[in-house]
Order: sequence, then C-alpha cells, then structure tokens
Amino acid sequence: MPVTPETFVALIPELVALGFLVLVLLLGVFVPRSAAVPAALAALGSLAVFGSAVVLLAAGFSGEFFGGAFVVDGFALYFKLVVSASAFFTVLAAARWSGGTGDAPEYMTLILSVVAGSILLVSMRDLFGIFLAIELATIPSYAMVAFDRSRRESSEGGMKYLITGVIASSVLLYGIVLIYGVSGSAQLSEVAQAFSEGLSPVALLGLVLLVSGFAFKVSAAPFHFWTPDAYQGAPTSAAAFLSVAPKAATFAVLLRILLEGMPEAAPAWTAVMAFIAILTMFVGNLFALRQRNVRRMLAYSSVAHSGYILAAFAALQGPALSTGVQAVMIYSAAYAVMNLGAFFVIDLVGDDGKSYNGLLKTRPGIALSMGVFMAALVGLPPLSGFFGKLYVILAGAQSGSVLVYVVVGAVVVNSVLSVPYYFGIVRNMFFEEPGGGEPGVSGSGALRFSVYALAVATALFFLVMGPLAALVSGAGLV
Amino acid sequence: MQQVLDTLNQTIPLEGYLVVAAMMFAIGAWGALIRRNAVVVFMCVELMINAVNLTLVAFADYLPQAGGTGAGYAVIIIAIAAAEVAVGLAIVLAVFRSRRTVNVDEINIMKG
Repeated sequence: MPVTPETFVALIPELVALGFLVLVLLLGVFVPRSAAVPAALAALGSLAVFGSAVVLLAAGFSGEFFGGAFVVDGFALYFKLVVSASAFFTVLAAARWSGGTGDAPEYMTLILSVVAGSILLVSMRDLFGIFLAIELATIPSYAMVAFDRSRRESSEGGMKYLITGVIASSVLLYGIVLIYGVSGSAQLSEVAQAFSEGLSPVALLGLVLLVSGFAFKVSAAPFHFWTPDAYQGAPTSAAAFLSVAPKAATFAVLLRILLEGMPEAAPAWTAVMAFIAILTMFVGNLFALRQRNVRRMLAYSSVAHSGYILAAFAALQGPALSTGVQAVMIYSAAYAVMNLGAFFVIDLVGDDGKSYNGLLKTRPGIALSMGVFMAALVGLPPLSGFFGKLYVILAGAQSGSVLVYVVVGAVVVNSVLSVPYYFGIVRNMFFEEPGGGEPGVSGSGALRFSVYALAVATALFFLVMGPLAALVSGAGLV
Repeated sequence: MQQVLDTLNQTIPLEGYLVVAAMMFAIGAWGALIRRNAVVVFMCVELMINAVNLTLVAFADYLPQAGGTGAGYAVIIIAIAAAEVAVGLAIVLAVFRSRRTVNVDEINIMKG
C-alpha cells in the first residue's frame, strides 16, 4: 500500500485538526496568560477543518487508503462537517469561561483532540483503528468533564465517567478482539465475509460485547447511568459538545460497522437495536420528568434522543435501508443545533428551574431562543427536531417489520411524554413573574452570538432541508 | 519421566490461552464492580485490558490467516491503556484534593 500524494489530500481534515492542536498547546507555553488568542486559534482550526471537508465534498473526493483501513466518502465527510461546526460554536461559547480558569490553551487543546478523534473515527474501516479513534476522542473528554476545579461536582462527574468509561472500553475491545479472532482480520470487508457464513457462538459473543460497548459510548440504556452525573458536573460547554459531536461520530461508525461489517447478521442486530431503542427512550424521558435541575434534565433528554436515533438503527432492514441511514444523518445535524443551543442558554441563565421565571420580560432574546430550542427538542414543525423525527418515522414505516412499527409507536409516545419537562421551562419563562433563583450572567458576546446563531439555525432548519436531503441521499452508505 | 517431558513439549492449544484470558477478564470485571477504592478499581481495569491483550496475541499467533498483525495492535493497546490510566490518576488526584477520599461510595453529591 504505497502512500501517494492523494493519501495526504484524504487526510487534510485530520492533519489540519492535529496541526492546530499542537499550535494551541504550544501557545500555552509562549503566551501563558492569554485567553483570547488560544480561543481564536481553536475557532480558526475548527473552521479550517470545516472548510477542508467542504472542499473535499464539493470536489467529489472519495477513495480508500492505507489498505482500505481509512476511507473518505460522502458519509464520512458529512459527519466531519457536523463535528467541526459543533466544535466551532463550543469554542466560541467556552472562550471567556476557559480564560477565567487560567487554563484556556489546555481546554482548547482538549476540544481539538476530541475533534481529531471524532473526524478520524467516521473514516475508519478497521476495527482496531476504530478503537484507537474512539479512545482519542474519549480520553480527552474525561479530562474535559473534570476540568472545572471550582466545582466539586466536576471532578466527581469526571471520575464516574472515567471509571465506567474505561470498563466499557475494555468490553468493547474484547468484542473487537473476538470478532478479529473469528474472521482473522479487522478489516470490515473481511469481517463481513466471516459473518456471512452464519453466526458462530464466539462471533455472537463478540457482537454482543461490541454493541454493549457502543451502547455505553452513546449513553443508551441500560448503560446510560454515567450520563446525568457527567453532564451535570461538566462545564456547560463540555457537556454541550460531548453530547453532540463525539456521539454523532460514534453513531456514524456504529452504522458503518453494522452495515459494512455484518450485513448478513442484520436480523440479529436490528432486533437488539429495537429493544435498546425502546428502553432508552422511556428511561431518558421518564427520568427527565423528575428533574428540577435543568442541566440534569437536558442530560436525560440527551439519553432520550439517543433512543430516537437508535430507532432508526432498528429500521435498517428491507426497503427502509437507505432512509434509515439518512435518518441517522439528518437527526445528528438537527440534534446538534438544538442541543448545543439549549446547553449554552444554561451557561447564561443557570441550571435552577426558578432562574427561568419571567425571562421573557427581563431578557427577551434569550427567552425566545430557549423557547425555540425547547420546541425543537419536542419535535414541533418546522423546527430542526421535527425533521429528525420525521425521517426516523418514515424509515420505520418503510421497513415492513412489526417490531419496528412498535418502535415507531414508542417514538411518538415518547415525544408526547417529553412535552411536560421541555414546556415547563417555556411556561416559567413566559408566564411566571421574574424573581427567585440566582441571577444569570450577561455572558460574553461570543457566547450570546452562538446562542442566537444556533436559534436561527434551529428555527430556519427547513430552509436547508432541501440541500441537506439531497446531500445525505447522495452520500449514504447504501 | 519421558511421559512428563512429552507432555511438556506439546504446544499449548489456543483454547488454553482463551480460557485463561476469559478468567482474567472475569476476575478484573468482578473486582472493578465490588472494590471501593478508585485506585484498586483502576488496577482491576488494567487486568481486564491485559486479558483482552492476551486473547489478541494468542489469536494473532495461532490463526494462519491473521499473518501476525495482531501483535502490532497489542502494542498500540498497551499505549492506549497507559494513556487512560494517566488521565485517570490525574482525576483521582483532583477528587482526593477536594474531599480527602478516593472511596467511590463516598463520592455521591449528585443523585437522581
């Protein structure tokens, strides 16, 4: 496998991310007390990754490199766009806060490291490469969760995330090694050959361990228990970013493993995904209903939304295959804009539900933005969340399987279940009198810009739906 | 005597490695679940990762079609495990500084 100049072209997004990572890290040595410079450089780095992925996508670049272990296709480039755009808004939102901790270069380095791991992950087609990229995205995220030294919850959340995370990593690795043992190769194409000859017990055990490991990484029930503690303890920008970017990349690579590595075993894993999806939706929504802390509520809401995306995985059979893949892609982008925005509002207002009382009178812009995010998370048309759920339901309807119809029914029931806790905040903002709860902070201009930009993106998502649908239908795996 | 030497000279079958590794993994997982000291939990996780590595090396050595590539992966996995523990011990240290304990049962201010 010769390394040609084309290989370097394929690696441009990753190389750009790593270059800016090193630059930002070294900046901490030479410009120690500055917060603005590392943040500006990290934002520039995210934009550069975004731009290079756009150029590769526009040029129609695709191909396999390193003996088929690294692949560039429309599917991978689409998720690189989602990850780098989320990173850009996260860097803007975290700029002033990270300056206050005195460790801005380190925090920005961790963000860029998660970006590098996530964009590498979506291009991997080799099981060990996938594990390496997952760890490159996960290990810095432990440190991001534990970053806020002024709050005791932060290190506690980091430790709970870390202990469960490393156990899940070793379970995932055991699954990968068993699949490697059965097929004699870690390349997905050769794994597919081994799986086409029927499932041996060892292969089935490997598949179960692999899916369990991934279920942990995307916080699917019953492996979701770290999520509320980690996201409540984490700095708000870290919780926002980790619930969106690495999660979207992990869903993407799970889709690639299942569709390219074990298409013959589809009846087995769609059934498993259906049960995990139903359980995850109900657990996320029922626990979110009980929360008083808005940050913890959004953490459970992210569990529920993982369940909605897993519902699309359950529909990956029969005629619904391509719609199911498109549903995962659309949902990831739709969820990114609304969830990042909702978390950033918490940074401005606070995580006590009472802090939102009468926000429409005191801070109308923020209140309207939060209203848009909450309505989008419920799935009201024509906001972004609606299109995600629409594609999931369309995929389920096309699948022609009774079990998937049950899953789609659960998606609808859960959307209704989620109304009270999302609209509880809207009611507080629009109908209560101001007062109660701690006063919010005005926040930096960059943070407010992110909130407004994301609110506009969430509200006007239907305008980009046409091009986006064309993009994902051309870029799908199948 | 000759019989004993013959037995010793036989190659260990692949299953032998796999069973030992599976037992190591189970012991590590059991320890990670029941031990309360965070540092001991990390040691148990190391046991789990090394059990997986043993499986990997055994597969790489015994499977003709693998061509020995698994041994290279094993080195990478050792490096990943070291990185995990480096971040892990830093977080344990941060927890210990703020509350003078690393007992995972006492670290419970967030619930629900």
